[in-house]
Amino acid sequence: MFKAIVSAATLTSALDSVSVLVDECKIHLEEEGLSIRAVDPANVGMVDLTLDAAAFESYEADGGLIGVDLSRLEDIAGMAESGQLIQLELDEETRKLHIQIDGLEYTLALIDPDSIRQEPDIPDLDLPARVVLEGKDVNRSVKAADMVSDHIALGVNDAEEFFYVNAEGDTDDVHLELTQDDLIDLQVGPAHSLFSLDYLKDMNKAIPGDTEVTLDLGEEFPIKLYFGFAEGQGQVTYMLAPRIQSD
Amino acid sequence: MRLGDYIEELEPDEEAERRRLAKEKSYAITDHLERFERNFEQALSGDTLVGSSAPSIFVGRSNYPDISVGVLSPVGDESQAEEYVTDGKWYQQGYAIDDVLQRRTGLLNSSKRANVDSPGIASRLAPSVQDVWDGFVGVQREVAIADRPVDLEIGLDGTPDLGLDAGTDVATPRGPRATARSADLTENPHVPRPVKKTLEDDDWQAQGAMTYLYRRGFDVYEINSILSAGALGEAAQRRLVPTRWSITAVDDTIGQYLRGRIKNAPSIDEVQVWANEYMGNRYWVILAPGTWEFELVEMKSPGSIWNPDPAGNVWMASAAEGYEGRSSYVEETAGAYYAARLGVLEHLESIGRQATCLVLREVSDDYWAPVGVWQVRESVRNAFDGECGTAETFHDAVSTVTQRLPVSLDRLRRKSTLAAGLQSNLSEFK
Repeated sequence: MFKAIVSAATLTSALDSVSVLVDECKIHLEEEGLSIRAVDPANVGMVDLTLDAAAFESYEADGGLIGVDLSRLEDIAGMAESGQLIQLELDEETRKLHIQIDGLEYTLALIDPDSIRQEPDIPDLDLPARVVLEGKDVNRSVKAADMVSDHIALGVNDAEEFFYVNAEGDTDDVHLELTQDDLIDLQVGPAHSLFSLDYLKDMNKAIPGDTEVTLDLGEEFPIKLYFGFAEGQGQVTYMLAPRIQSD
Repeated sequence: MRLGDYIEELEPDEEAERRRLAKEKSYAITDHLERFERNFEQALSGDTLVGSSAPSIFVGRSNYPDISVGVLSPVGDESQAEEYVTDGKWYQQGYAIDDVLQRRTGLLNSSKRANVDSPGIASRLAPSVQDVWDGFVGVQREVAIADRPVDLEIGLDGTPDLGLDAGTDVATPRGPRATARSADLTENPHVPRPVKKTLEDDDWQAQGAMTYLYRRGFDVYEINSILSAGALGEAAQRRLVPTRWSITAVDDTIGQYLRGRIKNAPSIDEVQVWANEYMGNRYWVILAPGTWEFELVEMKSPGSIWNPDPAGNVWMASAAEGYEGRSSYVEETAGAYYAARLGVLEHLESIGRQATCLVLREVSDDYWAPVGVWQVRESVRNAFDGECGTAETFHDAVSTVTQRLPVSLDRLRRKSTLAAGLQSNLSEFK
């Protein structure tokens, strides 16, 4: 059983943060809220999303699992204006999702969850450095790096206590340093890893500018990047495997 | 073989000799052009080229969609028409730049202007090239789908532009051109069964039809010609496709098919370096264990074509794709990217493995005239012959190979995504 009413803005944010990595996903409809976990086909980027029942206008579920085509569902959600409410109801018999936006009714055929890529295990990483910053600073870093290169190095200078962003291009370089004062929080530790901008750019799209973003970093280790949305009642965690510079 | 030993064995004594010969030979082209001019005059009867035989076609891209459509025929060398078709045989026979130019300048391009959608008057009512088998474009399409040269008569309009000015050693001699009035078949062209099948099935999407032909043993050269003539794909979508675009479209399409075939294949288990050298181009193919990732980096020496200033810097270009390919056309390296990728994918598919692959192409100043992207395709395809060098790690291989490159490791790292860092995956960190 699944029946919920949610604001278009909340639903869209949730879907967008998953669709940057995969086209289809499984959605767990738990009593306390919904959750999605997915990894891209190359096993490089992963998303773990939860949206609490409290983020909905109303929410009832008893632990079902559905598979959805994300772009279809996004298109439908896109029909609503941001203030509008979207009503979702699962028809257990036909395995279809009934969606209502104002007078508009849409019946979405679901995908057999078994046909969707297996959900990843979340790697248990011990990352020594933590950087907390505003979403708009992540955006600025990614945008600047993208002007010169297709990869970006993120690191923490242990001794001088700052977080840095490096990008080396053909001829031009980008370097950005953010100290304790520029950041919301910084826990120093040895950290320097290179990441593909293709992935980071996509993940960045899902980050609201005014939200608080936490980056956990290590040396040639995946980055764990997480932030809240829907007034803190939703949580997105990304993990991204690094590009290895030495063997 | 250890990479160091492998590179030792490549030591290019004989290469230097070949280069010297290539340089000397480049003057022979002038004689060749004079001979062609004589042949041409002999073959012309009034304003008609009789007893002609066309092995292939050319579709221009300038002024698209009103483009020039031509049949290519060797004048005075009809019995050898097959030899004038660009394909892998040119590599097998060890063609040098001169040989290619002789073939190219020996082909008369008799062309007419046509619209890619509605080349014939009759078809204007139903704008698709699909049913055009009459007139000049029809004959041209017959030539494209036939698997051997087709005998025909070409009516010429006005004076042909032989374009045979080989006066400078800088400009590339281009083939002679003539404006055609008409073309008539003088035999029934032979069309292979699978081509008939793709031709007749007008609900079949172009990509699927191209892949089908490839699986039936047609090489990209033949598929390219068929696509160019608008002889496959869904009926309403069929167009004349400029030769240059269709070459890349076929390389890309077949590459995507092969990439799909290796996506779930196991990875190779060691770092391998394969080298090849052809026509003043040297290729290094570095394969490393991992999921499919591909990059082509080109280094063009000062004094080579596209980088003519002899005192300039090595010019670099690169393009890459990840496991799922690219969503945009490559901005740098263009058609060479898809041609090199095809060569690598054919090898990986044949051994049933996937790999992370970096192709380094070094263009020396011996590459004095552009011969076409087939040179890249065949060089990479044939790089996998014999033995390869092995290295402990991908970065070891890159730094060892870089000692032989005209650029520093630092410059390579700045240009090359793969040299900067190899993509790892999350399961390596559990």
